[in-house]
Amino acid sequence: MVTKNDIFSHRLIISVLWNIAMQILLAIVLVWLIQIDLVHPMTWISSTISYIFSWKMFFNIILLGLVSFFQAYIYGSYYMTPMPKYFTRFSMFMNIFSLQNFILSILYALSGYFTMSLYSSLSKTDILKKKCVTYDGQCLVESGLFIQFGGMWMGLYYLMNVHVFNVSTLVFSHMYQGKFQQMKLAINNILSLGFKNSIPPVIYYCLFYYVWGNKPRSAVSEVYNSYLEDPPLDNIFNLFRSGIWISLWLYTSLFFISMYIMKSTFNFILTEPMNFPIESNTHMTIYDALSQRYQFCEYLGAQDLKIMSLSDPARRLQIFTLSQPGGHPKNWNNLLDQCLHIINDFSRQLDTLNHNEQQEIEVSNRNNILNARPHSDRSYDGIRNMAHSPELLHLKNHNKTPAEDSFAVIMEDECKNILNRICQMPGISFFFGELTDTKLKYLLVQAQPVVWVCEGLAFMAAASLKEDKYGVVQNDLAKVITALINLKQNLEKLTKPGLMSRKHVLNDAYAIKMRAALFSSVKRSIYKLVITFSKYMHEIPLDRDVQLAIQPYLLLKEA
Amino acid sequence: MSAFCDFPDLPQRNETAFCKLNEVYCCGNIRYGNVTTFTNATKSHPVINVTRDVHHRTTDENISMYVDVDDHLLKKITSVWYKQGFLEALSVAADPNVNRERPLLAVTASYILKVANVFTTFRYFLQPHLKDIGPKIVANYSRSRNWGNVPIKCLAWHPHTTKIAVVTADDNIRIYCSDTSFVSTLKCKTQGHVSSVSWRPFSASELAVGCEQGVIVWTVDPNSMFTKPSSSNAVLLTRPGHSPVTDVSWSPNGDLLISCSGADTSMLMWDVAMEVAVPLKRVAGGGIVFAQWSFDAGQVFAATSSIIFRVWDTKNWTPERWCARGCRVVAACWGPENILLFAAKGEPMVYALTNTGLLSGSQTSKAVPILDVARVELASGDIVGGPILDMCWDPTGKYLALLFEESRLIAVFCTTHIMMQLKITPCCFVTGIEEELPTTMTFQQNFTEGACLTVAWSSGRVQHFPIVYTDSY
Repeated sequence: MVTKNDIFSHRLIISVLWNIAMQILLAIVLVWLIQIDLVHPMTWISSTISYIFSWKMFFNIILLGLVSFFQAYIYGSYYMTPMPKYFTRFSMFMNIFSLQNFILSILYALSGYFTMSLYSSLSKTDILKKKCVTYDGQCLVESGLFIQFGGMWMGLYYLMNVHVFNVSTLVFSHMYQGKFQQMKLAINNILSLGFKNSIPPVIYYCLFYYVWGNKPRSAVSEVYNSYLEDPPLDNIFNLFRSGIWISLWLYTSLFFISMYIMKSTFNFILTEPMNFPIESNTHMTIYDALSQRYQFCEYLGAQDLKIMSLSDPARRLQIFTLSQPGGHPKNWNNLLDQCLHIINDFSRQLDTLNHNEQQEIEVSNRNNILNARPHSDRSYDGIRNMAHSPELLHLKNHNKTPAEDSFAVIMEDECKNILNRICQMPGISFFFGELTDTKLKYLLVQAQPVVWVCEGLAFMAAASLKEDKYGVVQNDLAKVITALINLKQNLEKLTKPGLMSRKHVLNDAYAIKMRAALFSSVKRSIYKLVITFSKYMHEIPLDRDVQLAIQPYLLLKEA
Repeated sequence: MSAFCDFPDLPQRNETAFCKLNEVYCCGNIRYGNVTTFTNATKSHPVINVTRDVHHRTTDENISMYVDVDDHLLKKITSVWYKQGFLEALSVAADPNVNRERPLLAVTASYILKVANVFTTFRYFLQPHLKDIGPKIVANYSRSRNWGNVPIKCLAWHPHTTKIAVVTADDNIRIYCSDTSFVSTLKCKTQGHVSSVSWRPFSASELAVGCEQGVIVWTVDPNSMFTKPSSSNAVLLTRPGHSPVTDVSWSPNGDLLISCSGADTSMLMWDVAMEVAVPLKRVAGGGIVFAQWSFDAGQVFAATSSIIFRVWDTKNWTPERWCARGCRVVAACWGPENILLFAAKGEPMVYALTNTGLLSGSQTSKAVPILDVARVELASGDIVGGPILDMCWDPTGKYLALLFEESRLIAVFCTTHIMMQLKITPCCFVTGIEEELPTTMTFQQNFTEGACLTVAWSSGRVQHFPIVYTDSY
């Protein structure tokens, strides 16, 4: 069976190859521009070609390949693991000094150094030594050192900017065009961003070099046993006069452009929609993918579910068929289980958040219908009654937590209470107290699969009205509607004024948008089901609360 | 033979057509007649009459009421710069009628202007679709007759309920609903030169508005009693270079929103909640004027400002490129089974594009002319036919309404699709009262008793024209 690692590593390899191709293209364009000679175009072209096929370029390509593999490792280690949870300032701070970041910083510094020396070698500014003019012996070329040391600086700056102070996530586009097309569209933006974003780090680096520049210079002079003949660059006037800062800006821009190209390439290739089979013994099926919560494959599975529900009637038909032998709707049941698990799990987490908050502000008139289940004694009048699923009863039992009051539990609670109290002390709470909106933010940032699953499930169920010959879906309509209504009500509690304490005020733009997207998607999914099945709504055995909740949808009065 | 020969006769001089009931063309007196005399199908429909006094707009006549204040030159230039941009400010400084005090400034400004003009001319040479600006582009490409000077600019029915959005001349949007007596008016500062509106499917409240600055998505709570919802309910989606928006269109699944601008060669696909747009762009064709989704959301038709138009396959987002014969495509509509009808500007012909090559894989299929609506004079002396201005197909694919550039009549045809063949037969004319001209029209989306064509007339009156047929008939 193809595992999640296989899918991911396969894509990672493709991205690396793409990235190398893109980087080579960038280098060729650069060589072509550097060799520019409008008066002798033939010489220009021939010198470009001879440079491209020279051993130096070959060596550079190997370097680029190495850098790309570094990046692949970085991205692989970033996206394979579920998002880390940071709920206190202290843990956020400690995370900066994690082993992963340490490795990353070395990798980025190396990649910055390599890329910078590569580009500077194209314009022959990478030399560190030359023959002295006034002395007898070797002299240091400080500009070469300035650029190469700058490369490391830029690598670290990029790391800080992208990975440490920001959380980099894979961005799944809402519509996927081909890789070429996406790259073509992105390239303009990448170029302008590269040149713009490279200005601040160059300024910071010049300032840094002004203060600390003599240290690396003396270290390198000692290693090479060379003199300094030219005016030192840790002097503002010399630095400006040498014009090396312009080269640094250009190379930094190229470095950023190459980084952005790499990031975009990885993003395009890793987020490409995947066509999971419905039944397979050798490959990962759609429900296997969906079962991997908070993992890369869950995203792909959920995305595929949505695409399938909208535009793949052949696979939908496969979902609606009965297994042979046995005649059970195995495919649908598997899919439904996974989808409901994702939706209900998210709903439960939201409910837990809401519940905690409400306890704090002592609002106890919560009417939770999470545990609601369809009445099993009610009959289906018009639609075919295949079987009343006993699973719902199991769900109900699972939610009941038996009251345990053993000594260990009491002690644990006490310890927690004491810890909580300590954490609430003014100075300590700043570092060790849980940050207010981080839990919600953490939950919402990972809500994209839930959005797709809601829409996918609703559109799949709606399509079943015409496509499902055996009526396998209709028995579970109640479950689907109940799960969606629950989620919608839990989301509503987040936005309702007065019900929540001010703690839930989000200040993260992405999380706020994701909340809106989730809300909108859940409401549309409910509308899709209610509008499609409006004629048969009274025949679906729904809980009274759910029935009440869908009334505004039937009347098209839900905003 | 003309397409209009078998149409029923036009109503008498003091009569007008109200509806068509089971093949009976029902006309009545202009003053005393009423559609409810014939059918109750539109009884609960909102009565809409947009008169000039409901508008709040500083029209050109109003402007003349204000006394011109003689500002200091520098102040004049800075205010023009602030409002209209650098080039306009330069032309003010270079204008000898305005700038009499500083001849040196005038000469400098005129020289800079000349240099700037060279660049602008070169830019227009490369991108001729950018020549027109703002409202001029919208007026040029609008499918509403005389877009800039009519009381109603465009209409949009909600896909699932009897609720209609009407864009009035003052760029306000008035929402009429069958079950509420009050009318909500959507208005905000950025909402100018509205070109199109579209209700989001599977949502009761979201309305996308294409206007000069970009796309505004309103969320109008159907339970709210506010007649003027605050602008906090609106989200403005903009992107540099994508203005003025000439068309907006929601996907039938309600997940994506397309916005087109006649001045932008890319069509934007918005994920509205995340406020992210993905551009769809291909070489050649100029600005994208309008886009239409097929019923199953599997294809998107996109008309450009040149003869090129594209049919996008929404699975892989790849286009199939087509060229119209003479002029750009002015109107198009999808029908059941993915049949596309379209008409080119200035040509009295409707073409059908069936099986656009995506299924068969063949690229040689041609658009077939299926209806010739050449201009004819009826026995009553009325002119009908000629170049097509707009075209609407009812959601069931049974009736096709055509709006002509040079006629005051709307022609409705019956369409039947049997054995992959589309057959078009005459149905009836929809006429206005006295000198009324049809401005824009649309079919109601949730009319179960047949089809209901809603027409906005140049007088500001909105007419619901039901075409009802009962099963027993």
